[in-house]
Amino acid sequence: MNKLRISILLTCITALSYGQTSDTTSVFKKRVLENIEIDFITSYYTQDGDNASVTGGIGTEKLTDVTPTFTVSVPLNDDDVLSIDAGISAYTSASSSNLDPFDRRSSGNINASPWVESSGASGGDAWTNITGSYTHNSDDRNKIWSANLSLSNEYDYRSVGFGGSYTHLFNKKNTEISAKLNAYIDSWNPEYPSEIRSYLNNQNLALGLFSGVNIYHEDGTLMDKNGANAWRPLNSELIVDKGRNTISSSFSFSQILSRNTQLSIFVDVVQQSGWLANPMQRVYFKDKENFYVGNPDNISSYTTPGVTNIFMLGDDIERLPDTRLKIPIGARLNHYFNEHLTLRTYYRFYSDDWGVTSHTIQVEAPVKLGKHMTIIPSYRNYSQSAADYFASFDEHLSTSEFYTSDYDLSKFTANQYGIGLRYTDLLTEKKIWKLGLKQINLKFSMYERSSGLTANIITAGVKFVLDK
Amino acid sequence: MIKKTVIILAGFFTLLSCTVVQEYEKININDPDMALTADKTDRFETNFQSYREAAAGANGGKSGGGCGCN
Repeated sequence: MNKLRISILLTCITALSYGQTSDTTSVFKKRVLENIEIDFITSYYTQDGDNASVTGGIGTEKLTDVTPTFTVSVPLNDDDVLSIDAGISAYTSASSSNLDPFDRRSSGNINASPWVESSGASGGDAWTNITGSYTHNSDDRNKIWSANLSLSNEYDYRSVGFGGSYTHLFNKKNTEISAKLNAYIDSWNPEYPSEIRSYLNNQNLALGLFSGVNIYHEDGTLMDKNGANAWRPLNSELIVDKGRNTISSSFSFSQILSRNTQLSIFVDVVQQSGWLANPMQRVYFKDKENFYVGNPDNISSYTTPGVTNIFMLGDDIERLPDTRLKIPIGARLNHYFNEHLTLRTYYRFYSDDWGVTSHTIQVEAPVKLGKHMTIIPSYRNYSQSAADYFASFDEHLSTSEFYTSDYDLSKFTANQYGIGLRYTDLLTEKKIWKLGLKQINLKFSMYERSSGLTANIITAGVKFVLDK
Repeated sequence: MIKKTVIILAGFFTLLSCTVVQEYEKININDPDMALTADKTDRFETNFQSYREAAAGANGGKSGGGCGCN
């Protein structure tokens, strides 16, 4: 009997000790994020080119953009992290300014040109965004759930986005699969080319923008504003549906292939619906007569970069289908050569039902120069076919249902060369108040497109860790 | 078609990795430069590319919506 009691007691102690082991394990599990982390990242972007879409595929594309952002990641407990990301993108754009190029009136004429920046209000805007995300990790860190909510706003565009993701790690954390679903409910507050807006508001070329302004035929003769062949936009209806919705699903699979190599595959399926064209962008038809304001002597040199005091009145705004299905498939393969060199490679194939296919190849080679410094040269090559609805300046037919002269949808190849510098101090020995400096990033990239567009972007980032 | 491709690739790489890399062997894999995501500071480049190019997505980040871009 005593032996039985002792056995039961030992069994209970053993069971309790297992329970204790389990508790102890959960108590000492590593926190997903040890301290509050703060990232300040900013970029300065400039571009220039001769194919502005606001002026139908010709004109200056000069643009500058400054984007300061910050991200705060807060560990709520051992398993949960809350992140808030907020930013402003402030830009000035010569191209957008020519939404209303007629702001330099002098003695009855309108001194406008697609090659000269206008001083109109549409020449600059600020895009503001705030995104909150919440992440929960399971005790064994093999399951990760997250949810996010984002709001963004600019003068002519608003967006509300939300979504969630689930990640599962297995095979001793050698394999990872992830699924993500996001929805964006966006809406336009449309801005139209000023001559089209003025005509549709007044239905009379003697009123509004054109009051006291001469309009010329393409041969330079004066147009009769009341004549049967007077200029007027092709369509009297502009944006019907101001909404633009996006459902984006993403799937990824990651695998450690060896001690030094790992790979990830991404598949996205993105369905968009609503007004997918940009109402600011003019289109000109080759089967319609062209009409101009300004100095008629300059009509013959209208497409020559730099010409001033002549502007061709738009035939219509860009029109595109109200649905679009995009399927990008990407793969990333990283290899660790040694303590100094790592190679990061990326390839993406993209296809959509507007007829665009593209290939992207990117290579980065981070080289560690010491304990703290890393230099990161990079190269990216991108090529795409043209969308079915693209034609260059004054090449569309008015009988088409859809048309755009946006060179972002044209056939082109692009090369991007970058050089980055990173300072890392995992121990955060340098302090500013309670903030320990963990990382500084600086990167410069140069982008050249076969269509002639060039761009430069400088990015700077600082990461701090808040002491407890 | 895409589903089949993903399943085949997933099976292939799972088989390929029959030799599981243990936690204590992951020192190189855990190097920050080996991360299978783009660096945070690359977000602005990804953003301008999504405006200037028709393609976007399949990089672990945003793949559409939220802006008047392509």
